[in-house]
Amino acid sequence: MSAPAVEMPRFAALRLPDFRLQAVRRSDPSLAGKPVALILGAGRTSMVAEASPEAGGLEPGCPAILAVARCPALILRERDVEAEVEAQRLLIAAAFTLSPRVEATEGGLCTIDLQGAASLATAAGLRAAGLALARSGLDLRAGLAPTPLLASYAALRTGPSAVLIVDDAPSFLAPLPLAFAAPSPACAALLARWGIATLGGLTALPKAGIAGRLGSVGVALWERAAGETTRPLRLVEPARTFAAEWRYEPPVETLDPLFFKLRRYAERLALELQGAGMVADALALTLLLENGAEHRREFRLPEPCGDPDPWMRILHAHLETVRTPARIASARLVASPARPPQKQDGLFDTGLTDPHAFWENLARLAAVVGEDRVGTPARLDTHRPDSFELRRPAETVPPVTEQAVHPECGPALRRFRPPWPVRVAFADERPSRLEGECLRGAVRTARGPWHLSGEWWRPEAWAVEFWHIEMEGGGLYQIGRTQDTWRVEGMLD
Amino acid sequence: MLPFPRTPATAASLRQLLQDRFPEKARPSGGEILTGVAAIDEALGGGLPARRVTELVSAGPSTGGQSVLARLLASTRAARQRVALVDGADAFDPSCVAPDTLPHLVWVRIRGIGEALAAADILVRDGNYAAVAIDLRGIAATALRQVPATLWYRLQRATEDGVSAVLIQTEFPLISSAACRLLLPTPFSLDAAGCAPCARLAAELPAILNRTRGRAPIHGAPPHEEEAVA
Repeated sequence: MSAPAVEMPRFAALRLPDFRLQAVRRSDPSLAGKPVALILGAGRTSMVAEASPEAGGLEPGCPAILAVARCPALILRERDVEAEVEAQRLLIAAAFTLSPRVEATEGGLCTIDLQGAASLATAAGLRAAGLALARSGLDLRAGLAPTPLLASYAALRTGPSAVLIVDDAPSFLAPLPLAFAAPSPACAALLARWGIATLGGLTALPKAGIAGRLGSVGVALWERAAGETTRPLRLVEPARTFAAEWRYEPPVETLDPLFFKLRRYAERLALELQGAGMVADALALTLLLENGAEHRREFRLPEPCGDPDPWMRILHAHLETVRTPARIASARLVASPARPPQKQDGLFDTGLTDPHAFWENLARLAAVVGEDRVGTPARLDTHRPDSFELRRPAETVPPVTEQAVHPECGPALRRFRPPWPVRVAFADERPSRLEGECLRGAVRTARGPWHLSGEWWRPEAWAVEFWHIEMEGGGLYQIGRTQDTWRVEGMLD
Repeated sequence: MLPFPRTPATAASLRQLLQDRFPEKARPSGGEILTGVAAIDEALGGGLPARRVTELVSAGPSTGGQSVLARLLASTRAARQRVALVDGADAFDPSCVAPDTLPHLVWVRIRGIGEALAAADILVRDGNYAAVAIDLRGIAATALRQVPATLWYRLQRATEDGVSAVLIQTEFPLISSAACRLLLPTPFSLDAAGCAPCARLAAELPAILNRTRGRAPIHGAPPHEEEAVA
């Protein structure tokens, strides 16, 4: 047995054990915590390929009928290729967060070339990737070793959600079962007859002797058992577009299944963005309905971010208000990549304490009252009464620049929207009495009139005459006349 | 010149040093939010208490509730504090305040008590607003009286868990869970108030502390419920 001569380059292997079963369980929330087995074949020949721990230790190869007899609550599922593709894309996305040199070795296994990466950062990155995949419902096992093969052995050997680092290859390999080196069935049977059950047992035999008895197949097996096999990685390209599209079979009409898949795909997009060193500054959601119609909505994120939780809150706030005329047949989510915001707050800055909460809550408010009814008011450049617009609130409250030249006078106007229609009686050219549905009575005092007009050069020219009045029973009001119609515009309060 | 310590031990000491040197730049502590109305600030012991619900009852028309709101906007704007207004009757007029007193305001234009309660519930939990003003005047009294008291207590608990000072304006005593209740008793008269500067009107606006309750951090106020008739 010989150890690799050099420690570098180091490789990491990310493995999803029982990959096909994990993919199925991740795509179906109803399977959580239940005994599930993935079966291959059909009818009487169907056999268990992978089984969840809740199934009570069902072995692969067990006939499905026998498996159900041993575990009556067992749920049998077939492979879901779409779910496997998505789980593999998630695994690759997690691998790209560690290094740009990633190989998709096989379903549920990625090998990463970590050359040049700092070991501390790698260990932390592996843990973060494990956590990210765990949040997405996948159990990741990782191995770090000097060769891709050793790394894959380590990832196979390690426990749930753990990272195994191979520093001493011979002592690591020696106790491993022979199955780690994937012998052919004939070789495995022959070696079993020789009493060889571990990699250490095989590599204790001379390589030349194995070559003489088992030929080139035996030599390759011996080299795999010794961990000597190394190879260049077949690198895959990182994602260039950040989009996910999925179908519902059958179409859905409630929010829960929509949110479930939306979150799953959002998690993958977030990891892909993270791997590319980007975050999202906008999301586009498209719902294709059963009747062929399409509901599309773009969400500009208040602050570019790569965390799927704020994305989901924004999507949630919108979707709760959406009523579609038909069931949802498929959906598409696209994240627009942007560079992460990098800024240093000023020492005396009065920015937002929690920007995400602020913008999410504004989105929720918009969902409650309407988008055109929330915002920061700003006066328009006109003297026309009640002219303003609502703008997007500023992230930082700016300092007061200058004092008003003409300070506001009198009580503030509390405007009636719409104004109250009223009939006005005059005495001595001053309002003396109001008659209206909402306000009536004698006028004690009146000040005015004031005249305002504007845009006389346009068809929508306007002119208004208004008075401030005090009613006999108390209360100050502003009344205004447009053409020949009098209205109570508001209360001076 | 103040002596400069060689090694500020912590960020807190550095912050303190900067506050000592540039007191005009220091942010207010956030314990109370000044309304800019002398009678109210005095009655509440320095301003609207943070994390408490204060009810301001306008006892009649033109008693100054909207002017209080305008002064609150001016006061918080000067302190660069963010304010939200839940405008139950959609009655706020941006042109009645100086244009520069608006950039810190988030105005929510409401139609009805249901929307008002939903918006208030979101805003008091936000954590970015120094003050949340909820104007329930103009909403039908029958609709307001149908609101279960439990909703006001829910709002109170959310306020206590948050950071904002909550001011609820009503036309009659309504908020059973309010820590403080103030009354605006006197209507303006056109002759006296018609052309007076807003600042002077606010300085002379009478307000009566009608009730304090619970753990309101009011200086000198008793820690239990106390009803006082104006």
